Amino acid sequence: MIDVFPPAFFFFIAAAIIPFLPHGIFRTLVLLFAPLIAGLYIFDLSHGVSSQIELAGLSLELMRVDKLSVVFGLIFCLASFLGNLYALHVRDSVQQIAALAYVGSAVGAVFAGDLVTLFLYWEGAAITSVFLIWARRTQGAYHSGMRYLIMQIASGVILLGGTVLLYRETGSIAFEAMTLGSFPTWLIFIAFGIKCAFPLLHNWVQDAYPAATVTGTVILSSFTTKLAVYALARGFPGTEILIYIGATMTLFPIFYAVIENDLRRVLAYSLNNQLGFMVVGVGVGTELALNGTAAHAVSHILYKSLLFMSVGAVLFRTGTAKATQLGGLYKSMPLTMIFCVIGCASISAFPFFSGFVTKSLILSGAAKEGYYVVWGILLFASACAFHYSGIKIPYFAFFSHDSGLRPKEAPTHMLWAMGITAALCIGVGVFPSVLYSLLPYEISYNAYSITHVITQLQLLFFSALAFTVLLRAGIYPPMLKAVNLDFDWTYRKLLPAIFGSSASYVTRFWSAITLFGMAKIDRVISGLYRSHGPEGRMARVWPTGAMVLWIAIILTATMIVNFI
Amino acid sequence: MADKMKENPENLPLLGRKLLWLDNKNHVRKLIFGLYVTCALLFLADFFYKKKTYLDLEDIPGFYAVYGFGMCVIFVLCARALRSIVARDVTYYGSKDVQAEEYPEEGLSRETLND
Repeated sequence: MIDVFPPAFFFFIAAAIIPFLPHGIFRTLVLLFAPLIAGLYIFDLSHGVSSQIELAGLSLELMRVDKLSVVFGLIFCLASFLGNLYALHVRDSVQQIAALAYVGSAVGAVFAGDLVTLFLYWEGAAITSVFLIWARRTQGAYHSGMRYLIMQIASGVILLGGTVLLYRETGSIAFEAMTLGSFPTWLIFIAFGIKCAFPLLHNWVQDAYPAATVTGTVILSSFTTKLAVYALARGFPGTEILIYIGATMTLFPIFYAVIENDLRRVLAYSLNNQLGFMVVGVGVGTELALNGTAAHAVSHILYKSLLFMSVGAVLFRTGTAKATQLGGLYKSMPLTMIFCVIGCASISAFPFFSGFVTKSLILSGAAKEGYYVVWGILLFASACAFHYSGIKIPYFAFFSHDSGLRPKEAPTHMLWAMGITAALCIGVGVFPSVLYSLLPYEISYNAYSITHVITQLQLLFFSALAFTVLLRAGIYPPMLKAVNLDFDWTYRKLLPAIFGSSASYVTRFWSAITLFGMAKIDRVISGLYRSHGPEGRMARVWPTGAMVLWIAIILTATMIVNFI
Repeated sequence: MADKMKENPENLPLLGRKLLWLDNKNHVRKLIFGLYVTCALLFLADFFYKKKTYLDLEDIPGFYAVYGFGMCVIFVLCARALRSIVARDVTYYGSKDVQAEEYPEEGLSRETLND
């Protein structure tokens, strides 16, 4: 019996009725109000309630309401509203249905109280989201979508395998904090890791997100990876290995981000880097660090959406998001530029912007527990985040050399979506207590201490100084049209090459063996023919008379036997 | 099509016209000078307040400034080296790969200030 109506169903119902509505005001209302109603409903849910149903002998907990699930549920609804507002010009039913069903799956997953329910929503999110990539309707997007789908489905299958084995081992499918150790828990951990874009499992993000549609990327960027962060925070808080995985995640994507030409791909690398901070927070596992993870997920969803929106608006108007083809757009798209800069200030953690009040929770959490090297890495990644994301994106899109492009400002609904998101980024930064009150644990943290403000400004301004000095000295790598090989090279080039050459060797080996064998058999047959054939040597001595005699004897014997 | 066109400030939105201030190289120079001054002031600020820190390293005046600058320089130099190893032609994964293809026109709304 469902006691509490799952908020995911608001999205599923909206997705089901969308195709029957004409384009225009009705669809607009459904697209905007479904996430708003779901958000208000989640906000109003009493903590601690749960809703269970019996299925095939298993008790599934469809709803588990606590502060952790509520904060993720709320930001998912808000991101869906903003994403749908940004995409109001889209007249493609596939994208509208996929966006709603995808968010519904993500919202369903954060309220899932058991691993089977989580698996169902987990796979739901995978299958529905790929349509936002395929909606680009090009061969390249189709292949990127297939690679994305394989990774996502693999994650789900591994999660299911882990769940089944865990059930055999413990007799429980409850989705609670686990201790990493047994084989099933490792499987579940890896399943979460694929979706969270752990190092070497990360390339689906950079492959698929820039391949999606202008609006699809905005939607995609908010849910899948943050769902994985939620799952890690729920399932593996305080798992030390996550600290090192997270620190690695903050480090290596940034080197790719700085040399990447496609600004949406730069943002995808940057997304990977920001996920690293959240994973470190989960790994540290203290109340402060877990609060930091949840808070940073919220502000990350906002500023990353904003950045994808602004670069998407540039792509929408100019047809490209490549740094080599852009520049000088601040004159004709000034509002988009300002919103982009606000997103950059937020991701860079400038005081009075969202990242400042959330990222520091994680850094403080790591330092308090004595992880000083990790703290140093996170500080390095923070300084560089400003460099490659905070400065690079607006500089190459809106300033830099004048590309001569004078596109119109983004459409009004896009400006509204960006404007509201930008206001939220500033709102979180200026009034952090509102966000802090939603976090899983009680918190008393003053982000605006003199030390924090001044040291952060030092870090950022000297990072900007480094950018300026390197750029003026000609050391900063110029943007180039190029593909930068990442780990996906192994499964896009190396493995196919290995399989291809192996298949070719096996085929050649088989042909050689077959040829050799056939030649041998041919030789034996022809040898026998030569010796025993009609012209053969042996044929010359065949006694034909003896054969007739023997036939006569056999015939006689047969007749005698018959008569007797 | 958002092609190159001759500048006519009147075509630009009001905010864009105001921002044309940035078109002047002298103004950009002033901004950069402002950045240098701000950096100097921020560095000096460390001598005028008591830091609350976790590590002894942080107590060194200008630690965050030097760390931010130094790490970013190392970061860019490493990235340059990385590019020399990993960069390939844009059609490396095939001419139909998403990195080589243009964004389809149906999903765009190219409008210029001339339209």
